Amino acid sequence: MTPAIIEIGPLQLTLCLGFVLLAGITSIVYKLGLGRDLLVGTIRTFAQLFLMGYVLKFIFQVHVSWVVLLMFACMVAAAVHIIKGRVKERSIPFLMPTFISMLISYTLVSMLVTGVIVGAKPWWTPQYFIPLAGMIVGNSMTAISIALERLFSDLKSRRAEVEMKLSLGAEYREASQDILRGAIEAAMIPSINSLMAVGLVSLPGMMTGQILSGTDPLIAIRYQIVVMLMLVASTAIGTVIVTGLVRRRCFSAAQRLIIR
Amino acid sequence: MSLALDLVTFAYPGGPAILEDASLIFKSGSFTLVRGPSGAGKSTLLRLLCRLEESGSGQILFNDTPIEKMVPADLRRSVAYVQQVPTLLPVSVRENLLLPFLFKANANITPPPDEVLAVYLDSFLLTGVTLDTEASTLSVGQSQRVCLIRSLLLNPAALLMDEPTASLDAESARVVLEKAAELSRGGMTVIMISHSETTPDGVTQIVSIKDRRLEYA
Repeated sequence: MTPAIIEIGPLQLTLCLGFVLLAGITSIVYKLGLGRDLLVGTIRTFAQLFLMGYVLKFIFQVHVSWVVLLMFACMVAAAVHIIKGRVKERSIPFLMPTFISMLISYTLVSMLVTGVIVGAKPWWTPQYFIPLAGMIVGNSMTAISIALERLFSDLKSRRAEVEMKLSLGAEYREASQDILRGAIEAAMIPSINSLMAVGLVSLPGMMTGQILSGTDPLIAIRYQIVVMLMLVASTAIGTVIVTGLVRRRCFSAAQRLIIR
Repeated sequence: MSLALDLVTFAYPGGPAILEDASLIFKSGSFTLVRGPSGAGKSTLLRLLCRLEESGSGQILFNDTPIEKMVPADLRRSVAYVQQVPTLLPVSVRENLLLPFLFKANANITPPPDEVLAVYLDSFLLTGVTLDTEASTLSVGQSQRVCLIRSLLLNPAALLMDEPTASLDAESARVVLEKAAELSRGGMTVIMISHSETTPDGVTQIVSIKDRRLEYA
């Protein structure tokens, strides 16, 4: 027995604006000066989500593999753009290696999840592929920014240690092994922590969404378990590949630390 | 083993030239003292010789071979660079001394046994320091000497020291300088940066950096 989904109509959406109004009044009363940002944010939320809704509807309708994959590539590109904003280092070109390794590794993980574990046929079925792949990209985007930021800052602050090892005959990988390990570890901790907290502290968005749309909670949690484990794996794969490739670029062919 | 600079020009990215058409020869078994004001490029000179910096133009020659033609690890093993600020890992003195032997490039060298390491500690007046001492408990002067020993264990052909005696007491400084002289007499090419006015025994040439060039003082 699946209860019918209660639809949110235009009137209800308009009523929702009352929430923003409430936040706006707070801003005015406490002179927070957030009015403008609130306005822009609200408009963007409406515009971006409506746009996404229509794009998804279109993709679901045409049901063609390359359109789905193109959509995925755009999501990865957007993630790389956000990573670029978060990672302050500019002397090392990290965008292209990040984009390519995210694209390849996450296509593979998503394929595995939709095709093998969920068993969607074909594996790129957009209802499954897009949301699952989207979660992978969104989640590991944070992890990769943490890893890169940590990699760059440690290579700079621990320059003496890296150069000491190089001077003693270490190859760049040996000289930066501890730093790489630290960066990957720092990036993985949040997703491992979320394995601990899930269901106790937070009800994950996807599961909540499924339950709201009438799915049996016992089915929803199974999806959530798959998602959680998939996220840990993709975070690990993504950060390992990206940091490995980017670290290479922090050293010259002569095994000299370039980043300053 | 000789080292030579041939019309070397170097600038840090976005910075002014540090060296311009600098040429000089460090003969096998020579003991060179490098002097010059702070920021003149003394440390840069040492870093160029072991390729921790790469020159913009000109050549650096290791026994007449351009260093770009050498495997970086081989060059750095032969041209040992001891940093101005000693860097040790927070583990025991033994583990620090044996660190280089963990690297692939040094796999063909047998790590020295404890007795050999102990003799080194003694000969550098590191009394009170044992192989099991935690490196983090050492003073700067002690750390500096442990770093020097660590480099010497690889049996380098040249030794580049960036102000090795700056943080040493008079007695330890004397030991380090005597060692340097002894090593150069044994054929090692020793290059040392110093701010001290006195010239240690055994120095064969004094070089200074003036107007981005190297000249004999």
